[in-house]
Amino acid sequence: MIQDETSAGDILMGDVVRLEDVLSRDSVTSVSKSFFNLFGLPVRVISHEGDLLADVHRDQPLCNYLNTLANGAQQCAATVSMVRDLEPQSGAIVHPCFTGAVYRVVPLVYQGRPIGRFILGPYVPSEANGPPASLASVDGGVDPNMARGHYDQMPRVREEIAEQLCNHLKCVIELLVFSGHRAQLASTMQVASVRENYRELVEKNEALEESYKELKQVDKLKSTFLATVSHELRTPLTSIIGYTEMLESGAAGALNGGQTEFLQTIRGKADELLGLISSLLDLGRLEAKNLELHREAVDARTLLSAIGSTIVPAANRRNVTLDIRVAAATPKVWGDAVRLRQILLNLADNAVKFTGDGGTVTLSAMRGEIQTGGPAGLGTALFATTRPAVALTVQDTGIGIEEGKLSQIFDAFYQVDAGTTRAHGGAGLGLSIVKQLVDGHEGTIEVTSTLGQGTIFTVTLPAADEDA
Amino acid sequence: MQVDFAAKELTVKLVYYGPALSGKTSNLRAIHWLGTSNACGELMTLETQNDRTLFFDMLPISLDSQSGLKIRLKLFTVPGQVMHDATRRLVLQAADGVAFIADSQRSEADANRESFLNLKKNLEENGIDPERIPIIIQFNKRDLDDIRTDDELAAIAKQSRETIFKAVATRGYGVMQTLTGLIRETWTKLEDEHGLEEKFGISPLRFMNEVESQLKHDLRRAER
Repeated sequence: MIQDETSAGDILMGDVVRLEDVLSRDSVTSVSKSFFNLFGLPVRVISHEGDLLADVHRDQPLCNYLNTLANGAQQCAATVSMVRDLEPQSGAIVHPCFTGAVYRVVPLVYQGRPIGRFILGPYVPSEANGPPASLASVDGGVDPNMARGHYDQMPRVREEIAEQLCNHLKCVIELLVFSGHRAQLASTMQVASVRENYRELVEKNEALEESYKELKQVDKLKSTFLATVSHELRTPLTSIIGYTEMLESGAAGALNGGQTEFLQTIRGKADELLGLISSLLDLGRLEAKNLELHREAVDARTLLSAIGSTIVPAANRRNVTLDIRVAAATPKVWGDAVRLRQILLNLADNAVKFTGDGGTVTLSAMRGEIQTGGPAGLGTALFATTRPAVALTVQDTGIGIEEGKLSQIFDAFYQVDAGTTRAHGGAGLGLSIVKQLVDGHEGTIEVTSTLGQGTIFTVTLPAADEDA
Repeated sequence: MQVDFAAKELTVKLVYYGPALSGKTSNLRAIHWLGTSNACGELMTLETQNDRTLFFDMLPISLDSQSGLKIRLKLFTVPGQVMHDATRRLVLQAADGVAFIADSQRSEADANRESFLNLKKNLEENGIDPERIPIIIQFNKRDLDDIRTDDELAAIAKQSRETIFKAVATRGYGVMQTLTGLIRETWTKLEDEHGLEEKFGISPLRFMNEVESQLKHDLRRAER
């Protein structure tokens, strides 16, 4: 429901509440002055509530003279008061003064409603033949000659012209009201619209916040589920592997060639399954942030050589050349040797998998730096500190990854191309685990790739202290 | 509806709704152009440089009834562009009747439907029951090519709960018929809810005769 304010109802009905809200005293006074300067006729503008918004006149000698006489002053005040209180409904009212002058009171109407009036005068209609008898008789002390002299100095205008002038002035003031009202409505609507938009955004944000909480809850459930299921799967699988090994070793009697071959297949597939389940368990632990790292100083060359010898058979099968380069003065890595091996083996395995016949996979290590303790980008020079690190890269000359997909490759279960699952196997967990393991080491992982030319993964990990 | 018993004055708010560029402002311009100067006030438009309605347009119409009651009709348009939804909702506040201006072009059918759903939603958000507020539909731009044919509209009109009008607002055709149609339905509804005849001694029939007689001269101008 839209909030309403006291006057918003009137404003949204598009009505003017008070003349003063839309007509500035300054502008209506300027118009009245200009009118007075042109035609010499006094103008007063009064709101429907009786407030005087503009008053432009010059004291008339006749009025000044009559105000020096007791009865004259009384009659003058009575006339002025009566004129001020006149509220014409449809047309103008011409109100006579005892001096022979007249006042013209013109209603101001806006959108079918009276909003005020203006008073033109006093002036003497040009059609009048001299002052009326009431001028001389108003007070015993009136000097007829003096009164006549002052009467002749009063502003004069023909009634027909006065009517036209009033129509003109009415039109001008009503237009001022119109544009003032327009500006008022525009600004009110602007504020109301902004407020309404804000209210809507707050509501939407709350809804988003709520669904975000729900999603986090679901994500947590998923991790717990993965951990539990993986654990439950591993127990019977260990027995399967154990009994298979026993059969292979001849514990239950000699086997013929076919049986041995079948058992080897069962063992191979069971190992694959165990690897997958271990990955799931790792992921679950990593997401729950309770994977323990046993950190020590690990030699980069030893690490890369071990990886190399593990993947050589696969590389040979695919006719991929393996190259290992360790730069001089590469420091030792401060990490968990088993996990570091897991990280690099995963990357190297992928590299071989996606590199075609005759390609090359290069594993290299060199001195590097890690920036810590500050936001990337603006002001890095001021906030960030660097610490010595080891940069380990795995470079291939394989199929590459589209730029648009690079940001997603570290997501769990993400496969760049679903088709590769069938061709190369894997559940899309490897890189997600790699990323989490690198994070666990307070390191960074970056990837650059060119479609058709190859991919470079760079893992930067903290270096061990020199004396370690 | 606002009633001022002291001033014997009744104000009715009518809103022209519809998709962007369907001709809402054109309807008001035509009414202003056709309307007699003593009935129609100044047309107020709050628009951008590109002639697109920014907040709303407003046209006040004042009618004197023989019962002595003064009736003020306030015609508003809403901004049709999707992004101005908050403003549309604000303008729709306290509306007594709605003229939905649809674009007759076939290509605009989706825009019409979307805007009508938006009208329903915004009425509800304002606490107005879309089932109960008088709504009439005008198919505008009858002079363009590739529009829904008269036969199609006739078939639609038979099934439609809302009365259907046809118009070419830029030329004034059908604009006054739409307006009087909307006033008639709105007045009938207000009569049912507030018993205006009993309170002010003005019957719906007499009221409509007065509306039409005050706009009669203008209707002839539009038909020419």
